[in-house]
Amino acid sequence: MREGAQTLFSPLQDATSAVTRPVVGFIDALSDLASLREENEALRLENEQLKTQIDQIDSIEAELEQLMEINDLEVPNDLPTVVARITSAGSSSFDHVRYIDKGSDDGITIGAAVVDEQGLVGRVDLVLDDRARVRLILDPNVEVAVLDQSTSQAGILRGDNENDLVLRVFEADEPARAGSAIVTAGSRFPPGIRVGTITQTATDNAEFQLVTRVTPAVTFSRLDFVKVIVGYSPLDAPSIEEELAELERTEDGEETTPDGEGDNLPAADGSDEGESP
Amino acid sequence: MTGRSVAISIGLVVLAVVAQTAMFGDGRINPFGVSPAVVIVVVLACARYLDPEPSILLGFTGGMLLDLLGGSPLGLWALSYTVAVYAALRFRERADDGALVLAVGIVAFTLLVNALFLVVGTLFGERFFTSTGFIKDMVVPAFYNLVIAVVVFPLVTRLLGARRRLGWSA
Repeated sequence: MREGAQTLFSPLQDATSAVTRPVVGFIDALSDLASLREENEALRLENEQLKTQIDQIDSIEAELEQLMEINDLEVPNDLPTVVARITSAGSSSFDHVRYIDKGSDDGITIGAAVVDEQGLVGRVDLVLDDRARVRLILDPNVEVAVLDQSTSQAGILRGDNENDLVLRVFEADEPARAGSAIVTAGSRFPPGIRVGTITQTATDNAEFQLVTRVTPAVTFSRLDFVKVIVGYSPLDAPSIEEELAELERTEDGEETTPDGEGDNLPAADGSDEGESP
Repeated sequence: MTGRSVAISIGLVVLAVVAQTAMFGDGRINPFGVSPAVVIVVVLACARYLDPEPSILLGFTGGMLLDLLGGSPLGLWALSYTVAVYAALRFRERADDGALVLAVGIVAFTLLVNALFLVVGTLFGERFFTSTGFIKDMVVPAFYNLVIAVVVFPLVTRLLGARRRLGWSA
């Protein structure tokens, strides 16, 4: 039924999108004017902070390189992708989906990760012959297993019907610091895709988990072209629950080692030795 | 009411659905991150001039098209629109009392359709109430719709009103 409706309406939607794209862009820019002054101030502040941070960049780079090696994170540049264009959006503010102009004819399957040049956009949850629906990571029904790159701690990221996301880090032994980059941990999404940046430092362990917020790397309101990663099969990957169970098993294994104290958590993806922060 | 009026109404609703998904949906024209709900405005405007049964059917059709072209569970918008139009029909004789009453009606029925969508969706397992953001998403479109109604209502009156001018009364 959905396929029929999509087939019927997609030419109309495509034509409307093509005709109104400049108008939509113009109105979008107008609606942004009000926030420009505020944004300017924020950028000025950010500039100052960046100047301070530039002094530390060498050590940060070295640390990042080290963390990448430790976590064996690979940015999935080598995975085959299909470039697609957004044709229409969800029908309301509650609907965090986008339709793209490529489908199963181009090798897209359900569950495929969708990215743009900034980071993770979402995953495909409906595929037609020449069209597919992408559910954005902003949707509360989408969960992403992620790693905090600065601490290698694993967590679950979930949409919040807002423009930012909620990050839950389980059994954390370090704070989740503002400014830390968050990348996919390799569960249903290929590992190493940038997802966003932590906006609030979280130190209190509420209910054995750190809860904080993450600003997505992607500007969803400006999405136009995206890449669908077709060379990674998320259906073969373990679910988030399985991934966490595996993490716990690894943890237990570490705790029962003859000389292990059991205090340090293993690295976030459970594949490496526990990291000494 | 003629078959032609119903056909024109359906055409207007289809156009509204296309505009909603191609222009006003999430991530398109949505000032402050909230999209207007164009379809309910068109449905309410048409319901002023149609008999009750076609009006309800029009609401169901508009909602079902939104379901089919969006990402929500099938039937959620259809149910919300049907109930909202039914409620609107109960009060439509008041629409001729003036612009203020009409404006209140547009805000109230947009709120109703969004509230129904959220509540019924939550009963079906959707996570709409995860943050306070749902209040903004529910309330703000009602006021955007006031602006849209300024264009839509005269247009619909021009197209359907000449055939039958009934206000919201049957």
